[in-house]
Amino acid sequence: MSERVHDRRDTGVRGEELAATYLTARGWTLLARNWRCRSGEIDIIARDPDGVLVVCEVKTRRGLGYGDPLEAITYAKVKRLRGLAMEWVRSQEFRVGPVRLDAVGVLVGPDGLCRVRHVVNLEVR
Amino acid sequence: MKNARAWSVALVGLDATLVEVEVSFGAGLPHTVIVGLGDTAVKEARERCRAAVSATGFGWPPSAVTINLTPATLPKAGSHYDLPMVIAVLAAAASVPRPPLEGTVFLGELGLDGRVRAVRGVLPALLAARQAGFDRAVVPASQLREARLVEGLTIAGVGCLADAVSLLRGEPYPEPELAPVEATERRDRLDLADVVGQTEGRWALEVAAAGGHHLAMTGPPGVGKTLLAERLPGLLPDLTPDEALEVSAIHSLSGRSLEGGLIMRPPYADPHHSASLAALVGGGSLIAKPGAVSRAHLGILFLDEAPEFNSAALEALRTPLESGRVVLARSKEQTTYPARFQLVLASNPCPCGWYNVEGNGARCGCRPQSIKRYLDRLSGPVLDRIDIQLRLRPSKGGPLTSVKADGESSRSVAERVLSARQRQRARWSEHGYTRNADVAGPLIRRSVRGIDGLAVIDDAVRRGQLSARGVDKVLRLAWTVADLMEHARPDRSDIHVALGMRRGESEEVRCA
Repeated sequence: MSERVHDRRDTGVRGEELAATYLTARGWTLLARNWRCRSGEIDIIARDPDGVLVVCEVKTRRGLGYGDPLEAITYAKVKRLRGLAMEWVRSQEFRVGPVRLDAVGVLVGPDGLCRVRHVVNLEVR
Repeated sequence: MKNARAWSVALVGLDATLVEVEVSFGAGLPHTVIVGLGDTAVKEARERCRAAVSATGFGWPPSAVTINLTPATLPKAGSHYDLPMVIAVLAAAASVPRPPLEGTVFLGELGLDGRVRAVRGVLPALLAARQAGFDRAVVPASQLREARLVEGLTIAGVGCLADAVSLLRGEPYPEPELAPVEATERRDRLDLADVVGQTEGRWALEVAAAGGHHLAMTGPPGVGKTLLAERLPGLLPDLTPDEALEVSAIHSLSGRSLEGGLIMRPPYADPHHSASLAALVGGGSLIAKPGAVSRAHLGILFLDEAPEFNSAALEALRTPLESGRVVLARSKEQTTYPARFQLVLASNPCPCGWYNVEGNGARCGCRPQSIKRYLDRLSGPVLDRIDIQLRLRPSKGGPLTSVKADGESSRSVAERVLSARQRQRARWSEHGYTRNADVAGPLIRRSVRGIDGLAVIDDAVRRGQLSARGVDKVLRLAWTVADLMEHARPDRSDIHVALGMRRGESEEVRCA
């Protein structure tokens, strides 16, 4: 694996780590990280302080050269995330309540400081 | 607060409506939508605005940005919403202060590098803004002169988005440099003295100019039809301030630069004969744009090679000739443009150009059917609206040796025209007219009651040579001839001259 690809994966993992810390610090209960199935991967599945199940996509970027991290989450990606969420719901033994889709954008600054933005309830338009 | 608003203007024809550009930052993934019934130029503004904002050193807000143009049911067209949209976005992001946005209208298209580019219709838009009680405007620097034609507004010209931001923050910004402009129009420099011979043509032109009469010229190729027509605007008096404002507004809308100031001279439009219906009377999808008839408003519409025009296009001139305006209905809006133009037609007598031309008739090889077909393209209803029929003949004798020196100059003819116009204005002002050609039929008939020589006109009607409309036209012409001759009322000879001009019997011309 080349150095750059490794670097990139590293950034992603660091972002997810940060997002998980961010959410737990706000009273969320993490249920799963990097849940995989045939059609893809869900970064974080958690229960928010109100008890709602949330499927959460994390996007990390190291600069604004390509725009805000959250801008990378397009309509198609939100739609795919919803499909994944359904898949996860089906894979559960017990009936789960309503599921919400969230996104967390992590911007890693040049000095290593990170800025986290949490968007609640993505709409599939 | 994540809301802000800025003001701009929507133009539907010359009717302007103030548009509130609202911006709100909402929750959700970052995206930008523009709502408010915009055309493609408005929809594409999103890409221009984003590029311009980042080129100016600001970030586009990473939120769900909704830009709304209200009233939402009014269709909006054009690129001039770029500037107000960006300003409202920057205000919502607290990059510029909000208070200065109230009472200010913004007009301008943005370049990807943040430049503010010229847009159409600045003059009519700002006239509307002033009427709506606005007292400030921000316009592209290159249109500062045009904008300043509207008195009573504080106007700032900005060359780029950064200038606009500095302006709103109260910081200094570079004062735009005004490029020098050429003041006079080329056509006004054309002099009637350049026309060799053609006494009848000059006289007809003088009468047409004095009374605002429509003119149709026929003659062989090269006889000077275009030459004469091009010199007609130079004979007309300046527009009044109100007329100038109206004419300038139309030309601003059709994209002409007004950096040279208001259009004070009567405009001249000479569309090529391949012109489409839409090019002639105005058109376009969604909201119709002004055509040649409106660009010739209060000036001259010259149709060279008139029979070559598409017949549908020619017929479409009939309504504006009568009403002085065109009403263009499109699916979204109905637009009315003023179109009180003076029509000048030029045509050949036949396809080859030599039919029935004195001394040269034998040169014509056209078959009778083709001559008829050619002449039939100018339909009766259109020709009936023409006041003066002029048949031009080639000058007799050599133009270089036998013709007396130069003819009379435009300047001295224009003086006579002006004094004739003043007589008309004094006579008709109580009825709201300024030119003989505009006076209503009943009024013109009442004005000649008891005049000697009216019998010839009745005679012409009885013999079927003159229509009812034609009678009014002859009377209007007779008044113009009388005004030029400085007669208090048309006399018998004025009426004879008028009747001759109307029927194209130029032999009688200048018998007075």
